Amino acid sequence: MKTIKESKFIRVPFIGELFLGGARPILGIVLGLLAGGVLIAISGVNPLTAYWAMMQGAFGNLQSFTNVLVRSSPLLLGGIGVALGIKAGVWNTGVEGYMYLGAIGAAVVGIPALSLPPVVHIILTLIVGMVFGAIWGLIPGYLRAYRGVNEVTATIMLNYVAMYLTNWLVSEPQPLAEFGSFYPMSKLLQESAQLPILMRGTSLHPGAFIGIVICLLFHFVLFYTPFGFRTRMLGANPNAARYSGVNTNKQIVLIMMSGAMLGGLAGAIEVTGLKLRVYMDFVSGVGYESVAVALLAGGNPLGVIAATFFLAFLKVGGTTMSIQTGIGAPMTDVIIALCVLFVIGVGVSERRRLENVHDVDKTETTDASDIKGGEENVV
Amino acid sequence: MDQNGLALKMEDITKRFPGVLANDRITLECKKGEVLGLLGENGAGKTTLMNILYGLHQPDSGRICIDGKEVQIASPSKAIQYGIGMVHQHFKLVDTLTVLENIILGIPSKKPLLDLVPARERMLNICKEYELFVDPDTEVWRLPVGQQQWVEIIKALYRNAKILVLDEPTSVLTPSESDQLFRAIRRLTSEGRSVIFISHKLREVMEITDRVTIIRDGKLIGTIPTKEATQAKLAQMMVGRPVSIVRKPRPAFSEKKPILVMKDVNVNDDRGLPALKNFNLTVHAGEIVGVAGVDGNGQRELAECIVGLRKPTSGTISVQNQQVTDVIADPSFIGFIPEDRQKTGLVLDFSVFENLIIKDYSRQPFVKKGILKYPVIKKHARSMIGKYNIKTPSEDVKARNLSGGNQQKVIIARELDAEPVLDIASQPTRGLDMGAVSNVHDILLNERNRGAAVLFISAELQEVMALSDRIIVLFRGEIMGDLNGETADVSTIGQMMLGQTPEVEV
Repeated sequence: MKTIKESKFIRVPFIGELFLGGARPILGIVLGLLAGGVLIAISGVNPLTAYWAMMQGAFGNLQSFTNVLVRSSPLLLGGIGVALGIKAGVWNTGVEGYMYLGAIGAAVVGIPALSLPPVVHIILTLIVGMVFGAIWGLIPGYLRAYRGVNEVTATIMLNYVAMYLTNWLVSEPQPLAEFGSFYPMSKLLQESAQLPILMRGTSLHPGAFIGIVICLLFHFVLFYTPFGFRTRMLGANPNAARYSGVNTNKQIVLIMMSGAMLGGLAGAIEVTGLKLRVYMDFVSGVGYESVAVALLAGGNPLGVIAATFFLAFLKVGGTTMSIQTGIGAPMTDVIIALCVLFVIGVGVSERRRLENVHDVDKTETTDASDIKGGEENVV
Repeated sequence: MDQNGLALKMEDITKRFPGVLANDRITLECKKGEVLGLLGENGAGKTTLMNILYGLHQPDSGRICIDGKEVQIASPSKAIQYGIGMVHQHFKLVDTLTVLENIILGIPSKKPLLDLVPARERMLNICKEYELFVDPDTEVWRLPVGQQQWVEIIKALYRNAKILVLDEPTSVLTPSESDQLFRAIRRLTSEGRSVIFISHKLREVMEITDRVTIIRDGKLIGTIPTKEATQAKLAQMMVGRPVSIVRKPRPAFSEKKPILVMKDVNVNDDRGLPALKNFNLTVHAGEIVGVAGVDGNGQRELAECIVGLRKPTSGTISVQNQQVTDVIADPSFIGFIPEDRQKTGLVLDFSVFENLIIKDYSRQPFVKKGILKYPVIKKHARSMIGKYNIKTPSEDVKARNLSGGNQQKVIIARELDAEPVLDIASQPTRGLDMGAVSNVHDILLNERNRGAAVLFISAELQEVMALSDRIIVLFRGEIMGDLNGETADVSTIGQMMLGQTPEVEV
């Protein structure tokens, strides 16, 4: 062995790779914003004006910035929930449903007067919300792990079930429903179950800060605990995980349930901090935006924080932009979608580049899938 | 036009990949009606060169001439137009389609509906002509690997290949199938077609080729007529020093302590078909039991059921008197080198230091109070890198970026360093170059001498014979014979691999 020169490992530019790793989402976002700018220009508005209006709307004053924070709260929690799934190789697209369940849980213990001290009552509502979410997540988790049901299908279908379940629960004559309301909604939460408002004159509740702490916590869990190691191993190579003794089915269920628990927490916070009632459509798409967040973040917990603020900025600023420039508010969704597509696209082209580099290394090993590109061209 | 009767000339081919010169001014000539051997270690640049010929890569410089005319091969479809056929080492077949469908797949047709009747006739003619018989209506996944290879060859001939490239064609074949292949190759060349035969197996290269081109480290070492070559000379040209696999001397153990005991084990494969049938095997401490047999005769299932990855439908397996009921992922008990290192043995996107603990990540000292101790883990990795001579810039490098031999060393370090009582090595040398192979052999022999029970599964008969104290031959999930490693001979094992029971003189 020693006499044979082994000059075969490839000097990948590691620093370059790291740089690209961090730069990839940013590059994607820049491209997305540029493409969005083109669309804005087509609709007859100077893109710079539009983006400036967006900046103003999001950061113009403290009030608007608190809006960004409030908007971030469910996205942070939902985003980390989806990101966990991505790390483990499952697509947990059920955040919308988990949020409904979390909201139901919060309402169940938040509406009746339990005569508890506020801190205890709040914690109870949040915990019950998490438990409700997690139980809901057990269904697609079990189906995926033990019955081979595609988790995307299962979670999205269950989202609708959760949504209409909520509507039914807040319609008269169910006990949670408000009497004689205009449209079905629950009673108001007890004051002791409401999250405190951190700044007078705004709706700033602590949700965003809870979300940031949880993102940091899961960063730690993923990279510094055996549970996280198992999770990442499962996502990176399920065969190797099984071979290393990981109970992969159980791990899938746990990860789906963790994501669901976080979704439930997001829903509970949204209800106890902002809406104070539960009604159908109170989340309206946040669950799906969480998927966008997780994708922009590349499944990384710290990235989730950055991606969330970017999305919340677009969402909050987009309203101002549409008021000031007359561009329809859906334009922000278009821009978000473009950014997600570009981030993924940059990732794919990057991977292809790296694969080309490694092809040299692999071409001669038997296990290598020696041709990647080209084979479709074979007549 | 075709001066000197050259079917193919690749001249001064240079191909550079980032950081590596894969082909450095390689020239290769193949005459009409000739079998040209292409010999080289892993990483020497054979596959790159062939991928250039097949239009998968473009050379940075150099020329390719076919029948004396210079051509640009921009894509595989161009290559096919020029009459180049390629049988890759890993077949490019659609498993769920039938043989005939695979053969016509991708051939442009002007008709709106498939008309399989003329295609079938043409295919059966090719089958008959070259004695490569395959049922056109069987789905490919049902075929044994040897027959899948026939399909690939028929596919190339169906497209009228004048130059057929066979990449390690015999690695999946039984000895008699190899003979069948060689007959087909001779028939091809007698018609004026050319064959480029890539192989590691010197014996076969000696047998079938007319001339041999040897490359090493991306450079042309030389082309010599096979008649003037010897195995030793070829090996020396290939690795730059003389090598051979010879049976190594070993101390004898007087005490025979059974470690692995399998009783009446039945195991199914992924498709639910029986893979091992009423299987009985005992492996003792200080003994290497070699498992010979053509790939796909139950080897994978055998290894997997011992470590608990695959549940037997009946029977019992015990290791050191301990029943195997669940997955065993404790390298201080069983060390398991899986047959597919990239798909199973490693997490390619994990760093080397993470890969070294994928079984031990939840054990002391790598985790304390539920928290991974990276300094300890990395220190462990550095010591493993030193001890097992793993070539890597640092422990932070992703396993993906190591060469095959070094990837295998990572697995060996992880699986065997804790001195398990039982080693299972499943195709541990597959795809490695000769130096790495002998390194693996030394390690396994040391394991045996240390007193471990070693189950050594390999499709390479030569190494099974060189290494084993006992040889069992697997055929369709059954043991055809249990032979003494010192006295077993190739022809007996070869017959057993085909399921024949040789007449043994008692």
